[in-house]
Amino acid sequence: MAALLDPTSPYFIDFPKRLKDVQAEMAREGLDVYLGSRLRTLSWLTDAFCPWRSFIVIPGEGLPAVFTFVIDAARIADDSWLDESQVFGFAPMGGQDQIEQIADFIKDLLKNRKGRLGVESGMSNYLPEGWLTHYEYIQFQAALPAAEFVNAHIIIDKLALIKDSGTINRFREASRIVDVGHQAVLNALQNGGYKGMTETEVAGLAAYAMRKEGSEFEWSFTGGNEIASGYRTSYMGGACTPASRRKLQAGEPLMVDIHAMFMLGLGDHAHNYLLGPATDRQHWHAKNFVDMVKLTLATYRAGITPSKLAEELMGFADSRGFSDYMVPGFEHGIGLMGDEWRIGLNDGPFPYWTNPEHVYQENELLICAMQYACPDEKIGFRYENPIVIGSSGCEALSRFPLGIEEII
Amino acid sequence: MDAKLQYLSPEWRDQAELKLKAELSPERMNHITSSMSNIYTHCPDGKARYLFFNYENGALKELLAGEGEPPAAEFRITGDYETFAKITRAELSSQKALMTLKLKLKGNMIKALKLASVADRLNKVLSGIPTNF
Repeated sequence: MAALLDPTSPYFIDFPKRLKDVQAEMAREGLDVYLGSRLRTLSWLTDAFCPWRSFIVIPGEGLPAVFTFVIDAARIADDSWLDESQVFGFAPMGGQDQIEQIADFIKDLLKNRKGRLGVESGMSNYLPEGWLTHYEYIQFQAALPAAEFVNAHIIIDKLALIKDSGTINRFREASRIVDVGHQAVLNALQNGGYKGMTETEVAGLAAYAMRKEGSEFEWSFTGGNEIASGYRTSYMGGACTPASRRKLQAGEPLMVDIHAMFMLGLGDHAHNYLLGPATDRQHWHAKNFVDMVKLTLATYRAGITPSKLAEELMGFADSRGFSDYMVPGFEHGIGLMGDEWRIGLNDGPFPYWTNPEHVYQENELLICAMQYACPDEKIGFRYENPIVIGSSGCEALSRFPLGIEEII
Repeated sequence: MDAKLQYLSPEWRDQAELKLKAELSPERMNHITSSMSNIYTHCPDGKARYLFFNYENGALKELLAGEGEPPAAEFRITGDYETFAKITRAELSSQKALMTLKLKLKGNMIKALKLASVADRLNKVLSGIPTNF
């Protein structure tokens, strides 16, 4: 897909430069070869969506090679900026299984040297992360007995932290698409349109509207578009609601958390409704939440940390008497497809969780995310929006008007 | 042709070249440009042999049979003499041999898939040579 390398495109990402940056870091770390297996690494370096088990082998110099399940190799070669000669399919055939194929490729790169091989080992709450499994690690060690295996994912994590303009523009477009999805949902709900509708139906009509705008995928592994109504909006500490077959009902809250993908950039915006008639108490909860979101968006800036932010915001919630209903977290990480876990680097007190003292920098991208839940009253709300950190504030990429409308 | 030819002998190679050129037109070979070395281990005399095919635009340019290390090729297929003999006798498909680890393929699998049907045609022609294995 040569268009990916058109520098005049707003979505241009300089992948050859990314590769060179990785190779420079590899040289500093004394690595001969880097074996990437995480989905985020593959997206960040190949510009192709790799849904099946895939690997990228990066030599010290020259182009990387991608290895994936053979059924998808030709498509990945077509989508990636890499030439098809750099994409290999593996299959259960003699000499063609992933361990032998990749180990042989690495042996050729090492040219009889022992070599230091960077691998990606760790843990995540995000299931499709793609860490090298124990079995794969053992098998590669057996196939490359002379090589020294070094955990090296920090190289990619560091380089991917600050986003370039092409990446941010892809997220902007994905967010615009999500806003179209939200408008389609609002149009469908209004004037009694929600009656008889199920959560899955809402998820589907949002998906249809976003697909018409060019979305490639309702990408979240949490069931695509997450829709919750009634008591399902209020799971204590909960922030994961795959749509169910539950019918929307008058007098209940409705949470619409939808996802679009544009050139591996991810849209993720949650909007909330009260299906009328709403009580004064429900409106009180809604106002609490909207005020909290406004304050949160006004607080994000370079130099602040997740812990400082949470402290300020929970103080506000406490002063207004709704801190019991707030989940005390206001973010999750985001990057090109597959990068949906912690903020920043793996340098916090709990390995592989967000470091609460991470200092945000300009052009970091994250999902401003918060959850409000009052299970006793069967009401809850969610906010998610990709934001770009600026020197004195943040840019919220989804522009769908903030509010919790009462739908009649 | 009544007499059987010894598998991989110079005479067998000559006959193979004649048949391949006569029976597989460039169109039937999908105008491929590629090369393949079949490497035969554990031959009856204990030696290793190879059969090397080189196609340009679907035309057979080289067919070499020999001992030892084969010429460099885009695809390298390694297996026991008896496995290749079964394939040539049409008693075993090359795909099944690969899937049961009787053969090992080195080369880009995506391109190999494109060439699978062509390889089958090629094997079918070779199976028509009266051969002593």
